[in-house]
Amino acid sequence: MSETSDQKRIAVKTTDEIDPLELSHRRPEWSASQPLTRTQKIVTLALLVGAAAAFVCWPLRTAQTLIAACTAFYVVLTVYKFVVIRASLSPAASLRFSPSEIAAREPREWPVFSILVPMYKEPETLRQMVASLTAMDYPADRKDVQILLEADDAATLEAARALTLPPGFRVTEIPPSFPRTKPKACNIGLHLAKGEYLVIYDAEDLPEKDQLKKAVMAFEASPANVVCVQSRLNYYNPRQNALTRWFTAEYSAWFDLQLPGLAALNAVIPLGGTSNHFRTRVLQELMGWDAYNVTEDCDLGVRLARAGYATRMLETTTWEEACSDLRFWIKQRTRWQKGYIQTWFVHMRNPVKLCRELGFANFLHYHLLIGGVTFSVLVNPIFWLMAAIWFVFRPEGVAMLFPGPVFAAGAVCLFVGNFVFIYVNLLGCCKRNKDDLMAWCLLTPLYWLMMSYSGWRAFVQFFRAPFVWEKTQHGLVGKS
Amino acid sequence: MEQDRKQYRLVRLLTGGVTPLVLAAALVAFARWHDPSWEPGAQAAGICRELIAGTTEGRQALFGSCWSAPLPVLAYLPFAWLLPEPAAGCAAFFAAWLFAFWAVREAIKATGQSGWRIVMAQAAIAAMAASSGSVHALRMATALTAGLTLLAAAGVADWAAYRRLRDVVVAGTASALLALCGFPTFAPAALAALLLPLGACGDRETRARASAWLLLGALPLAYAAGVWMLLNRLVLGDPLFFLRSLGHVVPQPWKLWFVLALPVAVMAPALAATWFCDARNGGRSGGGPTAGSATLIAFAVSLLACGKVLQVLGLAWGTGALDVCALAVLMIALARLSQPLYRLAASLILFVWLSTFWFGGASSAGGRAPESREAVCQSVEAYVNARTPYGRVFVLGYTGLDLLRGYSGERLMANLDLHVGALRRAYKGQNLYVLVPRPVGAVRAESVFWRYPGIYERGGDRLLFAEAFGPWHLFEVVTAPTQEQLDEWKKARER
Repeated sequence: MSETSDQKRIAVKTTDEIDPLELSHRRPEWSASQPLTRTQKIVTLALLVGAAAAFVCWPLRTAQTLIAACTAFYVVLTVYKFVVIRASLSPAASLRFSPSEIAAREPREWPVFSILVPMYKEPETLRQMVASLTAMDYPADRKDVQILLEADDAATLEAARALTLPPGFRVTEIPPSFPRTKPKACNIGLHLAKGEYLVIYDAEDLPEKDQLKKAVMAFEASPANVVCVQSRLNYYNPRQNALTRWFTAEYSAWFDLQLPGLAALNAVIPLGGTSNHFRTRVLQELMGWDAYNVTEDCDLGVRLARAGYATRMLETTTWEEACSDLRFWIKQRTRWQKGYIQTWFVHMRNPVKLCRELGFANFLHYHLLIGGVTFSVLVNPIFWLMAAIWFVFRPEGVAMLFPGPVFAAGAVCLFVGNFVFIYVNLLGCCKRNKDDLMAWCLLTPLYWLMMSYSGWRAFVQFFRAPFVWEKTQHGLVGKS
Repeated sequence: MEQDRKQYRLVRLLTGGVTPLVLAAALVAFARWHDPSWEPGAQAAGICRELIAGTTEGRQALFGSCWSAPLPVLAYLPFAWLLPEPAAGCAAFFAAWLFAFWAVREAIKATGQSGWRIVMAQAAIAAMAASSGSVHALRMATALTAGLTLLAAAGVADWAAYRRLRDVVVAGTASALLALCGFPTFAPAALAALLLPLGACGDRETRARASAWLLLGALPLAYAAGVWMLLNRLVLGDPLFFLRSLGHVVPQPWKLWFVLALPVAVMAPALAATWFCDARNGGRSGGGPTAGSATLIAFAVSLLACGKVLQVLGLAWGTGALDVCALAVLMIALARLSQPLYRLAASLILFVWLSTFWFGGASSAGGRAPESREAVCQSVEAYVNARTPYGRVFVLGYTGLDLLRGYSGERLMANLDLHVGALRRAYKGQNLYVLVPRPVGAVRAESVFWRYPGIYERGGDRLLFAEAFGPWHLFEVVTAPTQEQLDEWKKARER
């Protein structure tokens, strides 16, 4: 990016007067500031004590009941996955706009679009981020880009000050306060946003050039209750190592098949971390993101649905960097899974109200998507271990735990369910034209093992350090 | 817009709900009252009985053969759990035909034809099954096989015509399930999976991705085969146990390879037509409806060819279902053509009428009446009881499972994997008998006949002929007396 003298330097703005924790102050029942309420603690404890007592009194019967319940859950999850993938074939799954359709709307007055880019300790990505946002096909005077920087992040602030930013770009300084999370920074950005629409990008994101125009057209083509449009996310470094290959396969399946499927079913959608476009006014009414939730995007998706709003998928891609280092991947995945646990507990504070607000079908979607996925990650290792023991040693004990129908359902889950989950990843890669990754999908069970490890890590962290934000390290592509 | 949506919902309700329900119910009624030899749940019910009881024989029966297919048994299992016979059989039959009629809709709807054409095709297939007079046409397994064949064939045809990713998934998944419908469907299943990458070779862009289509299309089939082999290894100790009987019935393996290769040869002209249409289509994706029709017709012909070759090889017992599937695919090909409704109706009626000639020679006496089963069980039990109070009769094979379906006594037991020595060790001190079915038709393929050739006529090592009960021969297992028996006899002599 050129740094010409006629470009105006944007002054760094302070934001002391804005309350980034508005949601937790005004609607504490919607915030994860208190991870578990008193009632939830009592119910959880009672369930644990009850299960322990049942184990002591009727060990075999209790184990059989728990295994039967888990098996039924697996069957439901497999069928659910199948239904969602099938729904993704529907034309209603994604909003599509071709370049010719966009051109047909020109010339026109495009609305102001606010872009929030939260950054923390990543000065090296600043230049690339400014370049990619400048290159976006949207009138420069209609872009309102805020680079959200923590006040104590001297390195990135220094890099931002040293850079002559293009028109429409500004740096917003986030005063240091607890909790140190991305959503807190975004809330400040939201308050200062000037645009009719708003989107979040991560620093390393490379959105497709016409994404903002497509988002505007999507909002204009949708009914008023559609207040969020989620773009597809994928990775620009899929072939870096095995981890990025599996990660890309997973993302391809999630953003290209499952989320469109959910959108087609009018289901609650756990938003992706970036590239979600909003109607700014509605987002401000909803008090933005929950600063205490470490997957604030997922939580916001549920809150949108509870408020009666809808989310749609948009056929445009933002390219991100897949985490290629196992340590950082585990930290990132731990945060995501901890956030899902937080979200599930937050909205389950009043299940009856939740069911009333979401509707019964969406209530089921919510449990299978938010609670179910996390639960499966936690219980998977137990069942894998039992299956391995049964195949190798054939002990009587394991067989006793699976009476007739449960054994049959368990066998179906083992042989069909696992295959369906692998096949979906394969399909995602094929849809993304990443044929060389398809063979790697056959090794996905190894990836599941890592997911289960981070799942248990997240579970422990939920109780010990619920608000800790383990930041993902970016910029590893160049280093490798 | 709202009007369109309403009409779409109406068509969906008609073709996916009302018509399949009515037709499936009509077929149940027809089979129940028209054909006295028809038994709901024949074959599958006996295996399900053992599976529900959790016996080794049940698991051996489920996985240990390729002529008694596992998929119909697995489909029947929930009904057998929930309902008594014969309600379970009727319900499973009804559900299987519902699936088949749903498959008809799925096979036609991609062409954008109206709902009435789908209804007509559904009705025509029901009419063909009813008027065929073949006991094969009125089986749950046939309905399942026909439904899956339609999905696989239509998937391959739509792939040739429109090149959509969903067609690969549908054809691939259907072919995997089709392979679990028994050995007559092995070749069509492999053919469907193979046609996916081959069909895409006419277009440069899709040709470059042939490995992806192969993986996506053939993986379910390869996985199903792998799981089947694994379970054979776990349950029967031999990963290829389910295929051994074919080797016994058709000793020259090249003949079986011929059965597998023939459909590919039959498909060659259709493939060439697809490539030609693809090349002519220029920028558009797929070869268009002509390629789809050519693929469907060639697929149906290859099914018929497969059936004929299996008949020549003496494996005719499983080919009735193939004929039903082939004719159903041809009907779908007819219904997918753009033509006026009256012409479609006339051609379908003509087709159904002609198909009755095709099945003209089919026998409807395939089933055994329940009375005869009970009579055999009672006679054998009476015979054994007259000789010893400690007798135990092992009824061999899948036919044995069928014989024991309504049996509630303890004297007769099913046995799928005969080891005389193991039985003697397990039932020490008891008088053991083995009941062997006559080796005709599918029964020839039972494992007992390739393990103990000539057992039905001559018995075998330690097996002495005792009595004949209709098509069954009873043999006594000759055992040296135990020390306790010798002592008892000695005491009796001294007294």
